[in-house]
Amino acid sequence: MRNTFLIVLGVLWLIPVYLLIVNAITPLSEYHGEPLWLPVGFDLWSNLVSAWNQSSLGLGMLNSFMYATASALVAVLAAGLAGFAVVAMPVRRPSLWFWLIYLGTLLPLQIFLAPLFQAYVNTSLYDTSLGMILIYGAICVPFAFFIVRNYLTTIPPEIAEAAKLDGAGWWRLFFQIHLPLIRSALFAAFIFQFTWVWNDLLFGITLTTSPDRRPVMAAMAEISGGFVSLGPPVVLAGALLVSLPTVILFLSCQRFFVSSLKASA
Amino acid sequence: MTGSVTTARRAGATPSAGRRAGSYVERARSIPFLIPAVALVGIMLLVPFVATVYQSLTNDDGFNAEFIGFDNYVRLVQDPMFGRSVLNTVMWTVGTLILPVGIGLVIAVFTSQMKGGRWLRLAFLLPYALSGTATAVIWGFILRSNGALNQAFTFFGAIAPASGWLLEWPTNTIVMIVANTWQATGVAVILFLVGLQAIPTETVEAGTLDGASGMRLFWNIIVPQLKPVTVVVIGMSIANSLRVFDTIWLLTKGGPGGSSETLAVTMYRETFIISDYGYGAAVAVVLTIIVVGASWTYLRQQLKKG
Repeated sequence: MRNTFLIVLGVLWLIPVYLLIVNAITPLSEYHGEPLWLPVGFDLWSNLVSAWNQSSLGLGMLNSFMYATASALVAVLAAGLAGFAVVAMPVRRPSLWFWLIYLGTLLPLQIFLAPLFQAYVNTSLYDTSLGMILIYGAICVPFAFFIVRNYLTTIPPEIAEAAKLDGAGWWRLFFQIHLPLIRSALFAAFIFQFTWVWNDLLFGITLTTSPDRRPVMAAMAEISGGFVSLGPPVVLAGALLVSLPTVILFLSCQRFFVSSLKASA
Repeated sequence: MTGSVTTARRAGATPSAGRRAGSYVERARSIPFLIPAVALVGIMLLVPFVATVYQSLTNDDGFNAEFIGFDNYVRLVQDPMFGRSVLNTVMWTVGTLILPVGIGLVIAVFTSQMKGGRWLRLAFLLPYALSGTATAVIWGFILRSNGALNQAFTFFGAIAPASGWLLEWPTNTIVMIVANTWQATGVAVILFLVGLQAIPTETVEAGTLDGASGMRLFWNIIVPQLKPVTVVVIGMSIANSLRVFDTIWLLTKGGPGGSSETLAVTMYRETFIISDYGYGAAVAVVLTIIVVGASWTYLRQQLKKG
């Protein structure tokens, strides 16, 4: 009884994914304005190609790949350094620094938007790759900092003390001892932040406008506006295409996620 | 960069700069470690935050800005659209607390005891990897007037709403909460599973020996043990539900007539579509007070726990 309920729920959950796939593989010529529940032919490739060329979606994917990699890297490194300072170094009021950095994740993104937009226009950062990497990097710092700091507190302070006695400076201590020890936490933070940047729509539509700077979700949003004119199979193929990187990343790292969440809990 | 590394190392090696309480030199060494993170967060997030708070006290329209005190907030209170937006935001928060959290708990507990539960769980985890944008595209396909849901209604002989599901309040808000539930349940499942693994098997066995089973075992033994992780899941759900933007923006643009707007969408429309920066900023401030207030309550509970 209970298992039947669970299986029915699971099937319900899979229906949208099923409809997405069935309709995304349908050749445009076979689609007649009504969603299909059974496959009628296979032409996924040309739907993907149309989606890729539509509204520069392919370019958007390349842009987002660059933004997500660069900003997650910047954020993870900055978070690692700050976490090290707060946990291992003699800092006055470490909790003040913690809250100063962590505050960024408590505030809703909407509160930053308008001043950023105005400042970006005035400093010619608007619609540039640098501008996008800076804001995405900043948005990612607080949460990465939170993960890394929690992980660093599990490292016994004796390790740092022993190294200090051997005459190691703080930078050497960080790069040679702590950085290798927190590698897995840094990796987890990187994956989380990469996914976040990849999936962002809000900053993409606010701070960029040209197709060759626009991140993937902003391009996808434009395509979804042409649902009827482009044909649902092309739009759905686009949705499938932009989701693949994060789905693959998520499924291949699922175990890793769980263990890193356990470590930080 | 390399230069500063070597000097810092050399200075750190001198015995006089050892770890002494109150040594300013030693403390100053932490500054370069803190600067990248603090500068990024400070310049890109905290300064804009302060600017928005100030902007909410002006009549900024993108060209001129005069200080007008709390006039924007007075306008907010009198604006029926804002009332609707707050109501929708509350519906989103309550809906997100009940649906993804509740379903996530049930799925995590029952699939963990089930043969092949790992595979069944995948159905719920998969949508979590999708973006809000992709979710909106898929659900738009399901919910439009000639969409898949209406087809299913007709197939089973039920009467489908001719206008689809997105044109009337409160139906549009409710179906979007369902769409979001579809996407967001996965993370609750993962977190509850992590919590379940921390429950000692003896506790459950002892409960079973005492004759507890089925629903009683679930409510009286497993749910209380999951309390710490539940706090985390609920805290996350509150924050996420208050921030939802992509799904609503792509499915209805907050419409028709602002009927499905939440505060996050109202702020975007007032600021970037109508260019009423001052008023949009006031909406953002109200949203921030709600988010920070809710998160603060949750974090305090977390910290109290130790």
